[in-house]
Amino acid sequence: MTVRPRPLSPHLQIYRFTITMAMSIVHRATGIANYAGTALLVLWLLAAAWGPEPLEAVNGLYGSWIGQIILFGYTWSLVHHMLGGIRHYVWDFILGMEAGQREMLAWANLVASTLITLLIWTIFVWVA
Amino acid sequence: MREETITRQTIADPRSHYGDAKASTRHFILQRLSGVSNIVFLLLLLFIVVSLAGEDRTDMVETVGNPLIGLPFALTLGILTLHMRNGMRDVLEDYFRGRTYRLYMMLNSLFCLIIALLGIGAILKLVFWG
Repeated sequence: MTVRPRPLSPHLQIYRFTITMAMSIVHRATGIANYAGTALLVLWLLAAAWGPEPLEAVNGLYGSWIGQIILFGYTWSLVHHMLGGIRHYVWDFILGMEAGQREMLAWANLVASTLITLLIWTIFVWVA
Repeated sequence: MREETITRQTIADPRSHYGDAKASTRHFILQRLSGVSNIVFLLLLLFIVVSLAGEDRTDMVETVGNPLIGLPFALTLGILTLHMRNGMRDVLEDYFRGRTYRLYMMLNSLFCLIIALLGIGAILKLVFWG
């Protein structure tokens, strides 16, 4: 008899919403955002290597209000994905997997990533 | 597009080596190890961006061009691109299969390779040639 190939992921809307599910999706989404975001970093480094004029152009782009909004989102995405990764290290040691603990970790991930991002931008951008 | 037929015998027979046991373990371990390196990368990135955002080229050369900062930054950026490719593989495996999967996987590898080459190249230029 034949077996069908490996199943693909079913649609998201068939599941009841839970915070752990949401943070799992956000972990993947931030991963994809960071993937694209590396292009922004490399563009900046390339411009710096290239010469003063390209660097000035890139600085102008990133310093504009839309650039700043994207960089703020990129900061949050990086911090959230890093904390999500640390959450996976915790689970690798079979800790924090009980009901209640995993929800707490998921909420902590969201709250901490937001706070750390605001802290970074407050200290280094808005106040400095 | 024709997929290879997988029978229960193929799966049950250890000699068929069905599945990706070794590759999946390597994937898991590589993702964990590169993740640690990425934390180091993020701290370096934070330091570099905070001290250099909007600054001119002279300051960039002074900070990123410092081998003690530039070389670890280039190294961890390289490891980061491995993490990118590996992570995107998870996504592609979930939503595509067969030739479509292989096409997207090739584009994925290409993008990560270009990011690595351009990023590391730019940093090394700042370190060794100013």
